Amino acid sequence: MKGRNVVFLNIRNGFAILIFALACILVTSARSQSTASTPAKPAPTAIPYANMPPAAVPFGRYRKPYQDWFVDSSTLEYYGAARERPDGDLAALKTINIGFLGPLDANNYDSPYGIAMLHGSQMAVDDANAHGGYHGKPFALKVHDDLPLWGASSMAIVNMVYDDRDWVMLGSVDSSSTHIELRATLKLELPIMDTATNDPTVTQTRIPWLMHNFPDDRQQGYALADYIFNQRHLKRVGILQVNNRYGRAGKDVFFETARRIGHQPLVEVWYAPDTTDFSAQLETLKSSGIDGLVIWGDAAQAGLVLKQMRAMGMRQPVFGSSRICYPEVLKIAGPAAEGLVTISAIDPTRTDPAWQQFRQRFLARFHTEPDAYAAYAYDGMNIAIAAIKKAGLNRGTIMDALRQYEMTRYTGVSGTAFFDYTLNNIAPVTFAEVHNGQFVYWPEQRTDWHGKPVSFLR
Amino acid sequence: MERASAASHGRKILWAVGILILATGMAAAQNPSFYTKWTNYTSANGFPPGEVYCVTVDGNRVWAGTGHGLVLLENGRVQKVFTTKDGLAGSAVMSVAVDQLTGDVWIGTFGGLSRYSGGQFKNYTNLTSGLANDLVYGVAVQGQYLWVATTAGVNRLDTHTGSWSIFNESNAPFEEPWTYGISVGAEKIYFAVWGGGVLSYDRANHYWKPYTDPDGEMELVLYRNQGLIHNIVSSVSWNPDTKTFWASTYFGLSSYDGRNWHNYLTKDSGLPSNFINAVKSRGNQVWACTQKGLSEFNPTTNTWVTYRPDLKTGRGEILITRPDGSKRQIASSSTLAHNYILNLDFQGDDLWVATANGLSHGTRQPRKVAAIPR
Repeated sequence: MKGRNVVFLNIRNGFAILIFALACILVTSARSQSTASTPAKPAPTAIPYANMPPAAVPFGRYRKPYQDWFVDSSTLEYYGAARERPDGDLAALKTINIGFLGPLDANNYDSPYGIAMLHGSQMAVDDANAHGGYHGKPFALKVHDDLPLWGASSMAIVNMVYDDRDWVMLGSVDSSSTHIELRATLKLELPIMDTATNDPTVTQTRIPWLMHNFPDDRQQGYALADYIFNQRHLKRVGILQVNNRYGRAGKDVFFETARRIGHQPLVEVWYAPDTTDFSAQLETLKSSGIDGLVIWGDAAQAGLVLKQMRAMGMRQPVFGSSRICYPEVLKIAGPAAEGLVTISAIDPTRTDPAWQQFRQRFLARFHTEPDAYAAYAYDGMNIAIAAIKKAGLNRGTIMDALRQYEMTRYTGVSGTAFFDYTLNNIAPVTFAEVHNGQFVYWPEQRTDWHGKPVSFLR
Repeated sequence: MERASAASHGRKILWAVGILILATGMAAAQNPSFYTKWTNYTSANGFPPGEVYCVTVDGNRVWAGTGHGLVLLENGRVQKVFTTKDGLAGSAVMSVAVDQLTGDVWIGTFGGLSRYSGGQFKNYTNLTSGLANDLVYGVAVQGQYLWVATTAGVNRLDTHTGSWSIFNESNAPFEEPWTYGISVGAEKIYFAVWGGGVLSYDRANHYWKPYTDPDGEMELVLYRNQGLIHNIVSSVSWNPDTKTFWASTYFGLSSYDGRNWHNYLTKDSGLPSNFINAVKSRGNQVWACTQKGLSEFNPTTNTWVTYRPDLKTGRGEILITRPDGSKRQIASSSTLAHNYILNLDFQGDDLWVATANGLSHGTRQPRKVAAIPR
């Protein structure tokens, strides 16, 4: 005990009160010497959360928040015990299992995206196995169908942990399903690679077990708002959204961004996912005097909307979310699609070898062009497999390997991603415009919200 | 002169006694007894390996939910580990509640709801009953009713009639249906809703009331005591003694006494982490289960005490944060099984604590403590 302020106390002894009083003085003295400093302030980041435009920062014009989240490396800090678990016994394993959750049933509204996602995942797994798998053991995809009935797939991650014994999982498209998996994995501790959800709230939970590489609604909403109001100088925009979680979440981001920069949309109307006659919605939009329309929905409905609104004499420019950027919109709308501008999650006209080789191999194997969901799944699965190879058969260290992508770039077949402190991809998006019956692509060029172009994260 | 001298002497004695009483009070206030004796149940001594998700005390019995089944301890000894082979609905046990009238044990698992009664399990799943979803996070008994927190809303099972009710965004003010925890009060029942804040249900008048983050933004806290600190609420605890509910989030701690909100973050309190898995409160005690230790907060004295193994060395430490923000660190010869705390329950003055690497039993000890110099 040399040199230490050691205090032995015994309150039961009345005589010790005097010693006690003396001790108080000593303790106070010791405390003044040993007082811990408050935690160091996190280093300020050069990139605002989600690469948010200054004009769109909540309450940004009025006050600085008491606390900002997601802007430093403590965002996903993890002090649990996953790393301390015994590693998997490679010798006892026949395969290195990876879970997959996606909408696959043909009756599922989202199945086109889920099937593309599965194909991209399968290609990445096969590529890894062609290069020796994991220490000679093949990777195996354990596929679970994300059923359209709400919550019906909630047990998938439980089965992945207890039955399949997966090391990581990939999925899903539906944000509710992804949220359910996310909350379950906080308890079960299975890393999730999310390659298809648009919902920005899946990376706003401080749960370190999820990585997300698909351009989310924030990135799409900010880009569209900047383009529409700062570059096209429109002022009276209306919104038409599909009435599901995809439509609601996306619309909210665009609406709030527009409102904060002083261009609150004049009107917002919604449609059911199976709608074919949009006359009621279009009458409302027409009578509102809008000078532009934003559609947050899917390609087939957007095609019908374009066709019907042009037939009604509505000539306003139309803008859309990334799910509208599909050949289906061109096929359905025909000439009415001319001038349509959408976000695109990828630029399929890129000529770099990585994309071109992936495209050709995908086309040869699945007899269809790869879409964004296939490309991001391929990249996401490659990231997950690389994490397993780097970290070994331990879910905790695999999570650590995924976290090493914080504030770094990753270039894959989908393009170049940049992951922020929430492990969300906040790289610039791609725009597409219909010109002579075809999509023409260009990279997002955001302004400083005062009309001047700025370069960011490229 | 003698009388004056005697009076002066008497005053001196009174002052001396007064100072001694004050000193004793100060010493007692600055050196409360701590939980310094910890007995840990881990895989090293036959306990199921890995996380203990929940713990519930029932007299001299303790139920612990793990990733490998339900453990029953009696008088501090493991009596039985129940698994799916015994009939349990799922391997991962998230919550346990005991019906004090019937003795039935209700168990929430990732696989459905189980009732353990008369040595037998009866299971309730989404396909076989009115259970809203098989991911069950919380269970609580209120008289004849069992409340169940699931990932698709709240269930109420009338155990007398067997009828099920479901509450979700279609019939109650749920922003999201993902429910985590339940706390039963005399007048209201409180629910922790992931992404939806705290919901209360008035038992007499049957109405729901939401308490949500007033700034409405996931990425910030606008004002310190603005209202609920964040909508992602991991648990809620009603304290009948102070008539206050406490809500833990992954973004700090909140309390509401019916008039004022108080919020706590690491930067303005003794919380060791803003990531809080659960909270429980009674009397002047508020216990926060964080990922960097178990914290006891006394709102009256505004003092925090955190128990944990040192995050680097693993040695036991007790961290005290005083109202002025000053801190003191004390070594402890024994400590919790892990710093990542998921849940706790009280057994008299003792604590039973669920950690990421086993179950811990803490007892307050007359201290003999050493302050660690910095």
